[in-house]
Amino acid sequence: MKHNLTECSDEHMTFLKRRKKRRALIWALRLGLLALLLGVWELVTRVGWADPFLTSSPSRIGATIASLYRDGSLFYHIGVTLAETLAGFAIAVVLGCGVALALWWSDLLREVLEPYIVVLNALPKIALGPLIIIWFGTGSTAIVFMTVLVGIIVCILHMLSAFIATDKNKILLLRSMGATKWQILRKLVIPSSLASFISMLKVAVGMAWIGSIMGEYIVSRAGLGYLIVYGGQVFKLDLVMSATCILCLLAAGMYFLVALLEKAIVKNADR
Amino acid sequence: MKKEILRFSDVTYIYHTVRGETIAAQDLSFSVDEGEFVAIIGPSGCGKTTLLSLAAGLMKPSAGTVESRGSFGYMLQRDELFPWRTIEKNICLPLEIKRQTAPEHRARARELAVKYGLGDFLDSYPGQLSGGMRQRAALIRTLATDPDILLLDEPFSALDYQTRLNVTEDVSEIIRSEQKTALLITHDISEAISLADRVLVLTRRPARVAHTHTLDFEVGNPLKRREQANFSGWFERLWRELNE
Repeated sequence: MKHNLTECSDEHMTFLKRRKKRRALIWALRLGLLALLLGVWELVTRVGWADPFLTSSPSRIGATIASLYRDGSLFYHIGVTLAETLAGFAIAVVLGCGVALALWWSDLLREVLEPYIVVLNALPKIALGPLIIIWFGTGSTAIVFMTVLVGIIVCILHMLSAFIATDKNKILLLRSMGATKWQILRKLVIPSSLASFISMLKVAVGMAWIGSIMGEYIVSRAGLGYLIVYGGQVFKLDLVMSATCILCLLAAGMYFLVALLEKAIVKNADR
Repeated sequence: MKKEILRFSDVTYIYHTVRGETIAAQDLSFSVDEGEFVAIIGPSGCGKTTLLSLAAGLMKPSAGTVESRGSFGYMLQRDELFPWRTIEKNICLPLEIKRQTAPEHRARARELAVKYGLGDFLDSYPGQLSGGMRQRAALIRTLATDPDILLLDEPFSALDYQTRLNVTEDVSEIIRSEQKTALLITHDISEAISLADRVLVLTRRPARVAHTHTLDFEVGNPLKRREQANFSGWFERLWRELNE
C-alpha cells in the first residue's frame, strides 16, 4: 500500500527527494552527453580535422532535413517507410499469433511443421530478395512482404513457447471442471500469455524496422531506406546521416509506444 | 444403509512411455459412501494423483471399472488461482466453464465466500491474499458448482506448518458443514488421521489397498483430534503399515 504524501515520515520525504534528484541528474547527463557528441562532431568538421564531405555534421544534417521539409519530400519519405513498417508489423503479429495458436492447438501440426519453422528461422531472409522482387515487383508490397517475413517467425516462436509454457496444473484444474479445449485457450492460455505477448511486441518492433529498411535497400523508389541507399550511391553523406537520424527517432518512438502499452497493461494486470 | 457414491473395481492403470510401461495400480478396489471423508495414504510415488485423475474421469483405467454417481470438484496442491482474476471471478470460474451463468448460481458462490470469511476479499486479486486465504478461496471455488464429491490432492502440502494446521481446520469445518463427500490423497499420516472417517493405506507401486481403517474418534475437529489419546496409536500403526 502506498502512503499518503501528507502522512509520511521525514526520512521517507528525504528518500523521495533524493530519488527525484537522481532522476534529474541522470536526465541531465543523458542530454549533456548528446550535446557533447553533437558539439564535438560539429567542431571537428568546422576546424577541419574531419572532412564534412565524408562525416557530415550536425548543422549540415539540420540543413538537409530543412530542405527536405521545404520541398515536401520529408514527410513523404517518412510516411512511406512508416506505413510499410506498421503494415508489416501488424501483419506479422496477427499472422504470427494465429499460426502459434494453430500450432498450440494441434500437436500433430506442430510436430510436422517444426523442421520447416526451424529452417525458416535460420534462413537469412535477405537471400529471398531477388525472389521477392520478381514475385511482388518493386513497390511497397514487396517491402511489406519482406517485413512480414523477417518478423513473423519470431512472433510464432515467441508466442508458441508462451502458450506451451502454460501451467500444467491450471490446465488440469480446468479439465477437472470439464473445460473444453476452446475454454482452456480462452480462459487460461491467452490471458496467461499476455506478458509474453508484450515482450514479443518489443522484439517484433525491432524486426519490423529491420525488415522494412532491408526491403527498401533491395527495392524502392521512396522511403528512408531508399534515401540512405540513394545518398550512399551519389555520395551525399548528409542525406545518409539525415535519414539515419530520423530513423533513430522513429524507431525509438515506436518502441516507446509499446513500452507505454506494457505499462498500462501490467498496471491493470497486477493491481 | 449408506449409499455408495464412488466405486473402484479391480482397477489397473498402466503408464506408457517410450522406455517402457509402468503399472501404477493393479486390481485396486475400494468404495466411498455418501457423506464420508476418506483419506488415502501411500508411499511416495505410488500413483496417488493417478488415482484421483481416474476417479474424476480424466483418465480411463487400463482394466477394471470406476463407477461414480455425482459430480466432482478437484482441489490441487497449490491454489492455482488465476492472478489476473479477482477472487470473486476465480470462485465463479467453474460456473463459467459449466455455463451455469444464471444469477442464482453466482449468488450461491458469493454466499459461500461470505459465509467462510472471504466477503471482504471478493474484489481483491489473489496476490493480495495470504497463502491460507488463497487456499480457502480455492476450496470455495471447488464448492461453487455444488459438487457431490470433493477430490483433494494433497491440498495443504504447499503451506507452511502453522498455516497448514489452520487451513486444515477451516477445510474440515467447511466440508463437514456442507455435508460433502471427500476423498483426500496425502502422504501426511497425521493429516489423514485428523481429517478422515476412514483411511486407506496403499502399497508400493503397483498400488493396491493394503489396509482399511475406520477411525474411532468422538470428535471431528482436526486440532482436537490431535489431542486425543488414540491419535498417536493410529499414527504409529499407519506409519508401520506404510513402511511394510
